Amino acid sequence: MSLEEPEPDDALAAVGETDEGLDYDALAALLGDRLLDREQHVNAEGFVVRPDLSCLTAQQYGDRYESIYHLRKYDEPTHELSVVVPSPTDDPHNESANPVYRTADWHEREAYDLVGIEYEDHPDLRRILLPETWQGHPLSGDFDGEEPQIVTLREHANPLQEDHRGDDADTMFVNIGPHHPATHGVLHIKTVLDGEQIADLEPDIGYLHRCEEQMCEQGTYRHQIMPYPDRWDYISAGILNEWAYARAAEDLADIDVPKYAQVVRTMSAELCRIAAHMLAAGTFALDVIGDFTATFMYAVQQREQVQNILEDLTGQRLMFNYLRLGGVAWDIPEPRDEFFEKIRDYLDDLPENVAEFHNLLTSNEILQIRTVDTGVLPPEEARSYGATGPVARGSGIDYDLRRDDPYGYYPELDWDVVTEPGCDNFARLLVRLREVEESARIIEQCVDLLEDWPEDEREIQSNVPRTLRPDPDTEIYRAVEAAKGELGIYIRSDGTDKPARFKIRSPCFSNLQTLPVMSEGEYVPDMIASLGSLDIVLGEVDR
Amino acid sequence: MQATATGNATGNATGTTVDMLVDVAGLGAYGPGGEAVAALAVAAVIGTLMLTNTALAGPWAKRKITAAFTDRIAVNRVGPFGLLIIVADAVRLLSKELIVPEGVDRPAWDLAPLVIASSALLGFAVIPFGSGLQLADPETGLAYVFAVASIASLGLIMAGYASNNKYSFMGGLRAIAQNLAYEIPLVITGASVVLFTGSLQMSEIVAAQTAPLFELGPVAIPSWYAFVNPFAFVLFLVANMAEIGRNPFDIPEAPTEIVAGYQTEYSSVYFVLVYLGEFIHIFLGGAIITTVFLGGPAGPVLPGIVWFMVKIWGIFLLTQWARSAIPRVRIDQLISIGWKGMLVLSFANLVLTAVIVGVIAG
Amino acid sequence: MIGILKSMATTMKHALDGNTFTVEYPEDEPEVSPRFRGVHKFSQERCIWCRQCENVCPNDTIQIVTDDQRNGEQYNLHIGQCIYCRLCEEVCPVDAIILTQNFEWTADTKDEFALDKEQLKNVPWYKDIDPLESREPDRGSWVGEGEGEVDYQ
Repeated sequence: MSLEEPEPDDALAAVGETDEGLDYDALAALLGDRLLDREQHVNAEGFVVRPDLSCLTAQQYGDRYESIYHLRKYDEPTHELSVVVPSPTDDPHNESANPVYRTADWHEREAYDLVGIEYEDHPDLRRILLPETWQGHPLSGDFDGEEPQIVTLREHANPLQEDHRGDDADTMFVNIGPHHPATHGVLHIKTVLDGEQIADLEPDIGYLHRCEEQMCEQGTYRHQIMPYPDRWDYISAGILNEWAYARAAEDLADIDVPKYAQVVRTMSAELCRIAAHMLAAGTFALDVIGDFTATFMYAVQQREQVQNILEDLTGQRLMFNYLRLGGVAWDIPEPRDEFFEKIRDYLDDLPENVAEFHNLLTSNEILQIRTVDTGVLPPEEARSYGATGPVARGSGIDYDLRRDDPYGYYPELDWDVVTEPGCDNFARLLVRLREVEESARIIEQCVDLLEDWPEDEREIQSNVPRTLRPDPDTEIYRAVEAAKGELGIYIRSDGTDKPARFKIRSPCFSNLQTLPVMSEGEYVPDMIASLGSLDIVLGEVDR
Repeated sequence: MQATATGNATGNATGTTVDMLVDVAGLGAYGPGGEAVAALAVAAVIGTLMLTNTALAGPWAKRKITAAFTDRIAVNRVGPFGLLIIVADAVRLLSKELIVPEGVDRPAWDLAPLVIASSALLGFAVIPFGSGLQLADPETGLAYVFAVASIASLGLIMAGYASNNKYSFMGGLRAIAQNLAYEIPLVITGASVVLFTGSLQMSEIVAAQTAPLFELGPVAIPSWYAFVNPFAFVLFLVANMAEIGRNPFDIPEAPTEIVAGYQTEYSSVYFVLVYLGEFIHIFLGGAIITTVFLGGPAGPVLPGIVWFMVKIWGIFLLTQWARSAIPRVRIDQLISIGWKGMLVLSFANLVLTAVIVGVIAG
Repeated sequence: MIGILKSMATTMKHALDGNTFTVEYPEDEPEVSPRFRGVHKFSQERCIWCRQCENVCPNDTIQIVTDDQRNGEQYNLHIGQCIYCRLCEEVCPVDAIILTQNFEWTADTKDEFALDKEQLKNVPWYKDIDPLESREPDRGSWVGEGEGEVDYQ
């Protein structure tokens, strides 16, 4: 087991490497305060650092497989650590991190599924995104994409096979989804019911897997990757996603972004956040109130107005493709006053509209008895599962990358991170509604800044070479606070103009893992409400 | 409290429409056969009237009302005000393929839609519509309405069980649990009204509400039981919402939880029947509330039947309004509200009413 | 109970104010922003067949065929495959390919969305909006050379 900083500094990369192997004391000194304990493992000495697992990237080099565990602390997100676990090509075996971090469960399944690394002692190492009958591991080096996947019908595992009851069982197996009014996309939840209560539950994902990582590996850094992040979380959160890629690639290639562009980015990203949270509140209302609720339509109206503003700015209503490496594609549309006026009008009405949502939702007693103390996600569980975004903040975890791992123009602005201690569905709804107000504050400050920006300093893009070729074997993991939580991108370059490995750490993927914790023992309607309060987008879960 | 027919209310003096028709058309000469013919004729009129209402409500009014609550326009292209959408929807629904899923329990599966739709229609037999339109006026009128309306529960469990679908099954079970829990408060609250009237006969109940309660300037407030006993009225409204399965009590269908509950597997004509049954049920609930609490067809200037329609449409509007704003409760919460809250309150109401009536009568 | 009544009052307020948010499309056409990206329009007269659009396209939507003298022969674009990222327009040095505001495009089969250069030339402007004016003001000299209405050829 070797340890590396995410950005291998020349001075640091060599620490601990001696002729006889690794000098563990030197490594321990490097870790400093972050080291809690040291352990002796079979083939190497172990260090107990115990931050929280954010992401797992698996990849194949010419001579080895690597699992990189990106660790970062909830309390101090800039304390990052990447643990690289190599394993031989002919027999890729690793020890599972599952006993330490519960979130490793799905992340390791994904690594097994796509890259082909096997994790020992993993409780349930099955394919997660691809069909169970899939031949080969598509992101591994020897996978032949041309080879047809011929699987006879007989070999296809029928997902409905378990749909029968045992002779003496008093539980009932129900497939909720993949087509169900409340699954927010093609999600399949294998549910075992004891009466109306949920005895066991397992989300089954992968129906919307579109090879996004592989598609990004086929695109050039400069232009071709940027349109795709819009399509991960396609609920109007496009610019937030684009920023994740922009941040990773800009740090990788050392590109500066002009201040003016940062302000424009911040403003447009927060507009996206409002749109995304509005839809989240609306669909949550749909799940709890019923299918003819007016609340959903009011939420969509709010989102529609934001989309109109974004359309003026970016030229598209959902798939913005607005950010560019080193800036943004366009300046504020002319006439600028009119555009700012439009945003101001919207922001002026927003407090009233949010108050309306509080009237419709949070102050309604029936909604309160439905959501308070249901879908409880204790903070320890949330950390262990790597939950981020409104889901973590609804469990009282004070974690927001905009403040804790600052980027863009956020540090210069005056705003607060919203947390709610409730840990339940109600708290998550409250967090979203309050975050809308915080976003409005940020946008207002950005508009003020942009209005007074001197005309000759409106630089929207820095000078970026037409083709980017980062140095071979540079690696980077950068994350931003997207609408659903920490959206991280890992990029490894191999000296060409396309990334050699592009890994997306999707917040929804980690958040969805908490569903069994929230729902087991509760009633079916509460599970549906919890699912709504998680606000997952299957496009981002499955990628 | 023997009532005499006054105003627009249909009383004992004129008898039911059937009697009238027998007299007018001279069908009496044909004995019981003639009466049967007359009864069928009146039943056809009432059935057509209620089906027309339902047709108006289902494909058209409901869309318009929901659209108004959600700031939309809704149907407005087919015919004037989009009214011809009713025809278009009828053609569309009836021309769909009837899909019979594998393993359904026939004939229960085929009978369920009929039971659901017809049980609600049966209830209208004793409802006094005003302007002399009433099919029958038995002495047990109110008991009869409650009895036939709850036959629908049988239809729901048949549909839920026979569909061979777990969601349908859960919907059927939920429907039964819900109807059991709310039927009792409904009937008990209805009984508190009977204490005032002293009769289960519908025409008597209507007639008892015609006397003015008090004068408010030139306007005389009639002694509708909604004014006499508002507490019972609210109880009855809530229990009725649960009985007809509308928000916040629409959990037997609960589309976001169990897809469509007991009607998940129904398509084409069967779906129309189930859907129709639901709407007729809403109107039957409205008709019972109107008759028992809102003075039946009573009202100034306009003919009784118009007032009656206005009132049941008012109740329909209320269900749609509730639907737009009130969250659905959970099944366990619903049951505990029913057994621990509604039942206790309805008995308290009954006892209180009994005491008051006893004191006044004494 | 107060909360429930507040919810009901809120929806009733919306019902009674008579405002509708939806519009009667197509009679009531939506406002389309000048920057909106719709179906492409191509000008063979301007194209210098540099193939930059073909190269930058993230999902190989554009296909260019040239002869051995590098004279253009075909310019095919599958608008059903396009993701409307506008990179082709951004990269084009001569504004030969631009995205109009036209978002109304239907076809009976997928194949009908594969447009050749003639079809791309004849893509109508949406409400005569010229997208270039709002997008790249300094390239305006390329537009409006003809008489009267927007003349792109």
